[in-house]
Amino acid sequence: MIIDPREAPTPTIAGDVVSPDGTGSAGAPLRQSNLWRDAWRRYIRNRAALAAGVVFILMLLFVIVWPIISPYDPNEIDFSARSQPPSLEHPFGTDTFGRDLMTRAAVGGRVSIGIGFAATIAILLIGVTYGSISGFVGGRLDNGMMRVLDALYGLPYLPFAIIVTQIFGNVTFWTMVVALSIVSWFTTARIVRGQVITLKENDYIRAARAVGARWHRVLGRHVLPNTLGVLIIAIFLELPGVILGEAILSFIGLGISPPDASWGQMANEGRAAYRTSPHIIAVPSIMIATLILSANFIADGLRDALDPRTRET
Amino acid sequence: MTKLIIRRLIWTIPVILLVIFMTFILMRQIAGNPFRTSERAIPVEIQRNLERKFGLDKPWYEQYWQYVQNVATFDLGPSLVLRNRDVNDIVKEHFKVSLELGALSFLFAFFFGVLIGALSGLRANSWVDYTAMFVSNVGYALPSFLVATLLIYFFALQWDVGLPTSGWDTWQSKILPVIALGLAPMAAFARLVRGTMLETLQQDYIRTARAKGLRWRRVVGLHVLRNSMIPVITAAGPTLGFLITGSFVIEQIFAIPGIGRYYVTAVTARDYSVVMGLTVLLAIIVILANMVVDILYGFLDPRTRDART
Amino acid sequence: MRTKTLWLWLALLVTGLALVAAGCGGDDDEGGDAAGTGATTDGGGTKAANQEITINWGTEPPSLDPGLASDTTSAAILLNIMDPLVLLDEDNQPQPSLAESWDISEDGKTVTYHLRSDGKWTNGDPVTAEDFEYSWKRTISPDLAADYAYQFYGIVGAQEYNGCEKSCDALADKVGVNAVDDQTLEVKLTSAQPWFVQQSAHTSFLAVHKATVEQFGSKWTEAANIVTNGPFKLESWQHNNSIDLVKNEEWRDADSISLTRVNGRMIEDATTSVQAYEAGEIDVNPNLPTEEIARIKETDDYEKYTSLGTYYYGFNMKNITDVNQRRAMSLAINRREIIDNVAQEDQLPTTGFTPEGMPGFDAINPESKWLPENGDMEQAKQLMEQVQNPKTNITLLLNDAPGHRDIAVAVQAAWEELGIKTTIKTQEWAQFLEFIGPPPDKSVDVFRFGWIGDYVDAINFLELWTCESGNNSTNYCNEELDRLVDKARATADNDARYELYAQIEQIMLGDDGDMPIAPIYWYTSSYQERDSIRETFSESLLGQVDLRGVEVRE
Repeated sequence: MIIDPREAPTPTIAGDVVSPDGTGSAGAPLRQSNLWRDAWRRYIRNRAALAAGVVFILMLLFVIVWPIISPYDPNEIDFSARSQPPSLEHPFGTDTFGRDLMTRAAVGGRVSIGIGFAATIAILLIGVTYGSISGFVGGRLDNGMMRVLDALYGLPYLPFAIIVTQIFGNVTFWTMVVALSIVSWFTTARIVRGQVITLKENDYIRAARAVGARWHRVLGRHVLPNTLGVLIIAIFLELPGVILGEAILSFIGLGISPPDASWGQMANEGRAAYRTSPHIIAVPSIMIATLILSANFIADGLRDALDPRTRET
Repeated sequence: MTKLIIRRLIWTIPVILLVIFMTFILMRQIAGNPFRTSERAIPVEIQRNLERKFGLDKPWYEQYWQYVQNVATFDLGPSLVLRNRDVNDIVKEHFKVSLELGALSFLFAFFFGVLIGALSGLRANSWVDYTAMFVSNVGYALPSFLVATLLIYFFALQWDVGLPTSGWDTWQSKILPVIALGLAPMAAFARLVRGTMLETLQQDYIRTARAKGLRWRRVVGLHVLRNSMIPVITAAGPTLGFLITGSFVIEQIFAIPGIGRYYVTAVTARDYSVVMGLTVLLAIIVILANMVVDILYGFLDPRTRDART
Repeated sequence: MRTKTLWLWLALLVTGLALVAAGCGGDDDEGGDAAGTGATTDGGGTKAANQEITINWGTEPPSLDPGLASDTTSAAILLNIMDPLVLLDEDNQPQPSLAESWDISEDGKTVTYHLRSDGKWTNGDPVTAEDFEYSWKRTISPDLAADYAYQFYGIVGAQEYNGCEKSCDALADKVGVNAVDDQTLEVKLTSAQPWFVQQSAHTSFLAVHKATVEQFGSKWTEAANIVTNGPFKLESWQHNNSIDLVKNEEWRDADSISLTRVNGRMIEDATTSVQAYEAGEIDVNPNLPTEEIARIKETDDYEKYTSLGTYYYGFNMKNITDVNQRRAMSLAINRREIIDNVAQEDQLPTTGFTPEGMPGFDAINPESKWLPENGDMEQAKQLMEQVQNPKTNITLLLNDAPGHRDIAVAVQAAWEELGIKTTIKTQEWAQFLEFIGPPPDKSVDVFRFGWIGDYVDAINFLELWTCESGNNSTNYCNEELDRLVDKARATADNDARYELYAQIEQIMLGDDGDMPIAPIYWYTSSYQERDSIRETFSESLLGQVDLRGVEVRE
């Protein structure tokens, strides 16, 4: 998305201290809401991002609403109706147990998207906390924390996700969330630390501190709002990784316990039947792909909308 | 700069010790007997024999210390499950396979990723851009086991182009797995390059260069592309590490005798020595790769040098 | 313009790759292409000129040391590169192989093997009885810590030697295995074991070459070092990749062997294995995903073999205490439906525990009324009502291999009709084994398990259920059963023994049986095979593939 250079320069997100006309805190609330509205307008103008946003919301609606109104029970077995291709009765077809795939896709979507968001938020929580403490405090603590992070980076993803799932003895929704988030938060921590460090040295932050603003005010008013945009974008960037990670664990056999399913689990189950009943693997795969693609485009759109030019690198 | 490098190098030692420790503790947390591989329960005497043979009857701190000594002398011990193989052998034979697979995939991802990203960036918001981004992202958005299966189905089974379904010997057998593994990083690189390119193209100094009359090609080549490389290189470190360690799915589906397969199998089989040995090896690689990336980053973007303590 | 150059570059590259792929496609065929590839034959019976086949071993064998091999892949390869004392025929009776005859003493406690004189190692040394004495004692020794050492516990002094902690050499001499001379091996047993000769067909009873083992230590099984004495030689072993065998021209009966070369791949993924078979890269594929079986059955490649194995659900009797509940849960399972719709390999629905195909099956099988083929939901519900304090929240434990989940889902639905809510827990193998112990973890109410026969006698299956058995994870203890097992072990006469086995089955699964388990089906083995080897290729009841008799036909 190219920013039209003829546009007037927009205020920074933390519009409190630095603003074009030099007004102070008094003007801040108004300025901030203007900023978000500006961002929103810019976002909508990006066709791809807009379409992706619509698709994403439609998917959310589907997984939330459809299981409620669907005439089928997602776990009801009916061998006489097994492996049927899509039809009027079953718009997505049926799987090898005769269960309606559309309903299962919706229920599975709840699990997948749920795990996706939960794990992503967990990743952010852990990563942000770790990174900001490390970056903000600096010095020896920072060095130590970074070395521990280096060590954690050295642990390979898949085997350790397996180990973590097995420590719990069973694979449930929350086990997945924990396992996937524990092995994925490192990069976030690093990035946040980098952000915090550069922000720390930023003029307006130093000014605020020089003026005597207390550190939590500095964090709350200046640092965090600046990073908020980055965090929202990060959610949409981490989501795909988590969903794919869950699919890979299902491939090994450590997916969600039956009869519940997630998209990853459904894709894995359908894989062996790809020759005779391709719809069984096509449905969850298309769902996954759509979710990931829309998340990516949304992230791009958000990033452009929140005006990268004035964000400190 | 040299001081930085030396300091980072010295720090790798405690980091590796920490890795060993964490792996050791985690592995012992999960229940499991490395010697019971089949349904048959092992009679008590035999279990005792095995534990004695492999030193598992000693207290955990003794085992840990023994292990650290082994690592220091580069003797990673025998495998508990594969009774005729040592971890060193496993590493020697299989690591180069994974390395080759990872490196080739990385090159594939890098080359095509930069290409597609550059094309998209230069032709932003056109149909070229959207199509290129969409197509490259599809490879990323579909689960890798599906992509691999489809690649094998079409290119090895249905269409007779001379590609085998599995294995890792002839150069033909390497094509499909490299593509399957490299599609996701390729998409990631493409997006990164595109994004940075767009950013850079808006920068004042680019506009100045154009205004000054510099040839477009030189401008793009010299400034734009080089800047766009920065995030790619930042992502390169972990990507390379991931490619080498995370290739289990591809190795399993394509029957490639690499480290990834051994790794996951060893965890499931509770083959402690293999897990520890491979973890140490891979940790060293990842840590070194990250260090190299950090240093490169420092060279490329002086602004961040202070932040990179 | 820059963009145009980029496009050109991209186009050139893609074209180039396509040309290269297409061009090199034709002449580069995968190695080990078999005679039967692609050609349809009617199995007419003329021996083909090319006697090479490519097989899929499935996984890497953990060890090719007969003392350490404890899995089917290793056994499959060892059977063909080594010369066992006896081989089992289609009726699973022992036939002479390296041992040309054997005598059993009056009291059944001494077995004497008479070896042929023309057995030879691949380095030229003759195979002698000393080789067997050395090898058996080595497997029993505590140093080797062999998994299958317990197979030898029927031999005098073996268990003591194996359990020894120090100064064990003296005990080695007391083990009842003795090479009387080069061609005579005398074995002293602790009691009469009529199945011992059959059991000695197992790979743990193979001989190893002493000098090689001593020279190379744990590396003696590498292709460059290994010394064998069977119809095929191990030509190359690329770990986790391939194992290739070639005919051993020096073997004592080499003329009877048709195959000249067997290339072996190790493709673990079932979907890829099928793709490899259908692309013509392998000729025999034992690794089929359940979902593809229906399709493959329609082709000419499908072949099914029965196996000696039982797939069952075990109850934790301390948790599900009422026998009526256990019976009800077993009645509710519609085995036919599961076999037809879920497992799909034409398995046999169980009517007892010991599988069909076991000698004496007709006498042993109880035709349990608690194992109706189509299930009996009516009766199941009635029985459930008689249960005082039914356990309605059940945890079913599985290991994570493919296939188990699907069966569990079907059973879960069946039990729901009885008012039982089942939570399915999946664990990976090692964790699963820890949880079922024995004794089983108290959170486990029902667990899935399978038992494959080691040798062809029902004692192999029924001795699992004694109170002290290390493979009894059900907390089941019935002293009468223990007594019968001990008695059977001491009974030499087959019919008398089968009678005892029948009683044991009745105790477990009969009308008044204790129902510690709910068996579901008896295993079968599904293969994809080329027509050219279909006539001569087969898998035995114990899952062994004997390549001696395989011949590629036109």
